[in-house]
Amino acid sequence: MKTDPAPKGAESYYEASKKVYPKEIKGRFQRLRTLAVFALLGLYYLLPWVNWGDHQALLFDLPARKFYIFGLTFWPQDFYLMAWLLIIAAVSLFFFTALAGRLWCGYACPQTVWTEVFLWMEHWTEGDRRHRMKLDKAPWGREKILRKGSKQLLWISFAAWTGFTFVGFFTPIDELGARLLTLDLGRWETFWIIFYSFATYGNAGYMREQVCKYMCPYARFQSAMFDRDTLVISYDVERGEPRGSRKRGIDYKTQGLGDCIDCTLCVQVCPTGIDIREGLQIDCIACAACVDACDEVMDKVGYSRGLVRYTTENALEKKETWVLRPRLIVYGVILMALIAGFAYAVGHRMPLVLDVIRDRNALYRMTNHGMIENVYTLKIMNMDTAAHRYTLEVDGLSGIHLDLDTDNITVESGEVATLAARVRVPENGMTESGNTITLTLRATDRPDLKISEPTRFIGPAPRR
Amino acid sequence: MGQIPSSDESGLEPGERTWSQRAQDIAAVAWPSFLVGAMATMLFFAFIDPTVLQEATFPSWDLGRMTGYALGFFFFWGIAFASSALTLFLARSGTRRGPN
Repeated sequence: MKTDPAPKGAESYYEASKKVYPKEIKGRFQRLRTLAVFALLGLYYLLPWVNWGDHQALLFDLPARKFYIFGLTFWPQDFYLMAWLLIIAAVSLFFFTALAGRLWCGYACPQTVWTEVFLWMEHWTEGDRRHRMKLDKAPWGREKILRKGSKQLLWISFAAWTGFTFVGFFTPIDELGARLLTLDLGRWETFWIIFYSFATYGNAGYMREQVCKYMCPYARFQSAMFDRDTLVISYDVERGEPRGSRKRGIDYKTQGLGDCIDCTLCVQVCPTGIDIREGLQIDCIACAACVDACDEVMDKVGYSRGLVRYTTENALEKKETWVLRPRLIVYGVILMALIAGFAYAVGHRMPLVLDVIRDRNALYRMTNHGMIENVYTLKIMNMDTAAHRYTLEVDGLSGIHLDLDTDNITVESGEVATLAARVRVPENGMTESGNTITLTLRATDRPDLKISEPTRFIGPAPRR
Repeated sequence: MGQIPSSDESGLEPGERTWSQRAQDIAAVAWPSFLVGAMATMLFFAFIDPTVLQEATFPSWDLGRMTGYALGFFFFWGIAFASSALTLFLARSGTRRGPN
């Protein structure tokens, strides 16, 4: 490997790294990616500003340990739903990888999406590929300082806005904005804004394709989901070779040339700097920039499009491509089952929690009236969107009686109520020294809203 | 018909654009441990409220939940980082050296 020093101004954070100068392109896949960038980043930057009811539509309120997702409120008790959602995301990734290869990498990965925007800014300020390379080689002067400076200004502002928005998912963004304007941000808010801004700036501005090559686990294991029917971007070797430049208007086929004019545009536009003509490579993120570039060239020279195209290994070998294959069906069925189960679990969540904590100080107490008394602390959590009034019942022993310090158990939406409960049982009602009793909490206005919690009732060893 | 694009004069050859071994090592330790640290943080704090944890350990401190989460995250990241780094060290050193 050559280790000639990087040209001045082109140095990156790491030695022996050559900077990739992706050339800008136009084309249908580039339009698709631009669309994806606007859709995804639009969601990212705008969603925190959307309100739903009396709170932010999407708010992961960590200080209050509550997640608001549109009309739903999630609590730490619902964590399994989030784990479930992550599994669904992973299986979806498997499914789409088997079907269409690295769609995720080319259009939806945050690394791709933010890098794309940073590239636009680079283009606006430093010009196209040729100008950027010239600028990097040029000595520092007025123009270079101006161009590089304005790029940094754009990058840093955009990264800062990104970091601010990120924190806005965890703390109400309008309050955050107000505190930012009055320079009254909390320590950790400041820290995470800077942390996320810096990560965006470094990843999208400098590390770019290196993240895909050296840091991304998905890039390494995605090939396990591939088969000969997976959509990949490939150069048609049979059609293109032998490549070479040619004069216009000659019958190149009589000279033994293929369709590839060896303009290397496919290499110039590649964000990871590979040559697609060398075959399927792990560095390829399937962004289809080379497809757009080659199509444009083919149009210009009057050859048919598709020398570099989305295809499958089977199709390249002129075999039939089989879309509905067992692998895809298995992934699909698992995915549908997981999604259906998730929807059911979210729809049938019991928005009520009853925690019963035994009094730690005394196992039991004898009352003046010859009753055995156990004291419990009850925590009632109303996870529903409306306030409810509840009734509490106890059963499990004959003659069991419940005494609360209030006869009106009303809990506001999203609140936790704590109350003391004294449970009394006549001495002859005990069959063992320890018995299981059941406390049942029921909403008065909604009979289906109920929860039963078993607990221990302790008394003296019964006389036989 | 437009102009046929000319060949690129930059002379960039694929394969030259690689990070040094050290940069790759740092990335391969820092990033996976970041991911695992983030997962562990979510899992841990889904079940344990930092304020409860603090009351049970250092009740005289006044940290607050956000500090709790942040400390937890860096703790888990650090642990995972140490483990990844040791694995890398063991895989890279020793008498049995594979082809580099």
